[in-house]
Amino acid sequence: MVDLSDLQGNVLRGYKDRPYVRYLILEVADRNAARRWLAAAISGRDQEVPQITSGDWGKAKPQTCFNIGLTYEGLRALGTPDSSLGMFPNEFIEGMTARAVKLGDVGASAPETWPAPFNEPDRIHLIATIYAEKIEQLDQVQQHALDRNALTLLGTREGYNFNGDFVHFGYRDNIMQPRFEGIHDPERHADGQPLAPLGTVLLGHKTNLEGLFWRVPQPEVLGHNGTFNAFRVLKQDVAGFENYLDQAATDLLAHPKVDEVLPPGTETDICQALPVESPSRHAALREIVAANLCGRWRDGTPLALSADVPDRNVDRAKFDYDENSRCPYGAHIRRCNPRGGQIVQRVANNSRRLIRRGVPYGPAYERDKAGDAGKAEPERGLLGNFIGASLGAQFEAMSCDWLNLGLQDPRITGSNDPITGTNDPDTSWFDLPLKSGGTIRLRGLPEFVNTRGGAYTFLPSLPAIRYLGSLTT
Amino acid sequence: MPDNVGVMDRFVDRLPETAFFKFVAARILVPFWAWWTPVKPLPGGPHPSFQHGDNVQCMMNLIMPLKDKSPVGRAHAAMAIAQHKDAIFAGLNNVGTVHFARFVIVGDNICMFSVYDGDFTNYIRDFIATIGEVFDAVVGLVEGGEEITPCEKNVEAFIQWVHEHDLYQVPDTPTDFLRDQERLNGDKAVAPVNDDLTLLPRKMVLQLRANANVSLGSGYRAYPGYSVAQVRKQLGLGW
Repeated sequence: MVDLSDLQGNVLRGYKDRPYVRYLILEVADRNAARRWLAAAISGRDQEVPQITSGDWGKAKPQTCFNIGLTYEGLRALGTPDSSLGMFPNEFIEGMTARAVKLGDVGASAPETWPAPFNEPDRIHLIATIYAEKIEQLDQVQQHALDRNALTLLGTREGYNFNGDFVHFGYRDNIMQPRFEGIHDPERHADGQPLAPLGTVLLGHKTNLEGLFWRVPQPEVLGHNGTFNAFRVLKQDVAGFENYLDQAATDLLAHPKVDEVLPPGTETDICQALPVESPSRHAALREIVAANLCGRWRDGTPLALSADVPDRNVDRAKFDYDENSRCPYGAHIRRCNPRGGQIVQRVANNSRRLIRRGVPYGPAYERDKAGDAGKAEPERGLLGNFIGASLGAQFEAMSCDWLNLGLQDPRITGSNDPITGTNDPDTSWFDLPLKSGGTIRLRGLPEFVNTRGGAYTFLPSLPAIRYLGSLTT
Repeated sequence: MPDNVGVMDRFVDRLPETAFFKFVAARILVPFWAWWTPVKPLPGGPHPSFQHGDNVQCMMNLIMPLKDKSPVGRAHAAMAIAQHKDAIFAGLNNVGTVHFARFVIVGDNICMFSVYDGDFTNYIRDFIATIGEVFDAVVGLVEGGEEITPCEKNVEAFIQWVHEHDLYQVPDTPTDFLRDQERLNGDKAVAPVNDDLTLLPRKMVLQLRANANVSLGSGYRAYPGYSVAQVRKQLGLGW
């Protein structure tokens, strides 16, 4: 059994009551001062340095939450022994920018195009995250974090959770997270899937590939119960997405099989269920396309459970993909996590699961106010964290083979994820399934999501932070 | 080339073909270059690519020196493969991304050549999860193998070891080769004299000195790339 007080709180908690989130991108300014800063941050006594939030809150709920992740360069800057550094996995040592092709970070997402501070990845040592109920608390905690001149602030990124857990593309998010064997889930996440072995998220435990163990960087106190995070700044082109839905709906209206996609009369049910302003067949088809691209209607209803109309009464977390499932093989949620459905790599079912913590950044898109002549849309997107015990076996494996190659199913091989994939409108395609068993191929999908920054970080346990704070050489 | 090539020009052009020059190049010049401008061995495996077609039917070429360099050692290697034949078929079936796998003994090396789809590390990791004992049996006979077995408990080290033994795939054009070399060294520009592509590039000579076994090209296909599952589905074999 793992003691939750040994874990950083953000590994198992979503901090739902703290909608304001700020990421501090930091460089170690002075090695010894940074070590003292780490030691103070878990002392539980020093009120001048933000205290790192653990997974066990006891009786007192913290007002704000504070967690840290260290890059490989950060561990080096803190003076972690070479013998320990060499035991970290290659992908972490090389860093996110070196893995760009695997992750689909090419073209407009290539690291060479990332803005500061992500244009100097070697200087990014530590990413601290502040979660707060009130926006002014973010400034207070940031000030405390920087007070001791241990760390230099290279930049910040800031997000805010929208009401109702909706995200920029208009989908309901935060529906489910994996639950783990032997761990009390403090937030009782919904998850209709088998319990994940603890090694899915923490180093030093049984993984979800039978018999396999990931290397734990030594000394044991440093690596044990640590985990890795792929932090991503993902710019979302919401206007482009909505325009694509318009175009696809218009094309479908002219398609000879449109009545199979949307039987006459059912548009009212769809538009009422979501709800959609100005109901029409075109509006309902827009929502059908949106639902198929994602695998969920925008209210969160999985197509696997209710493909004809959104249904708020279904259990949105508990479903699987069988051969009769009407969720497209290439839908975003099915690509990321094919659950127990048939896939090419039979040993990989349920093996690439991740904890996802995301918060939108930038203003919400207002469709009726968009398109003012000459006015550029402000940047908006998602600040995403993809947490797992092996970046290579989970985040990267999912990204390269499943999202951007479609290797898991021969019916989608050679296509990219329709929402997050690195799509080129000249070659992209997505098959919309029909009840009769056929498909309608949608084409011309552009890139809706571009990477604008990121880093691989190690999320050390609290004992590991204590160890790093106590280094002297 | 100008039309009026002089006697001296013809003499210089013929120099590299002379026995004396070949002797000097092999015994003195190349070792001197290698000492003067050392090159790092280029990494093995397919070149990173984002094109779908480049990420199916990828080639892995492992050449692994046997510990026991004798007919008995080679026989042990042959037996290790034969004894695990059923497990190998089961592994191919469950991993689902391997087109072909061949084991070959060349001299005192056991070689594994395979054609697979997708990311290399996923391919090896899935194989470890499926038939790790076969890898252990084969790699146990190979120099350095004891440091990475059992592979189930040394997953990252095992994958890295296989990657390091996978042959460098020499690009089909010298410019692409020089690009690889520059990328490895973080160089920004090509040195104009040493990298004259009308001559045998010095860097290629030195790379082949550091990396004596290489794959020439990344394999050539008679048809566009398809995944194992696409082929099986098309042939009605199930996937």
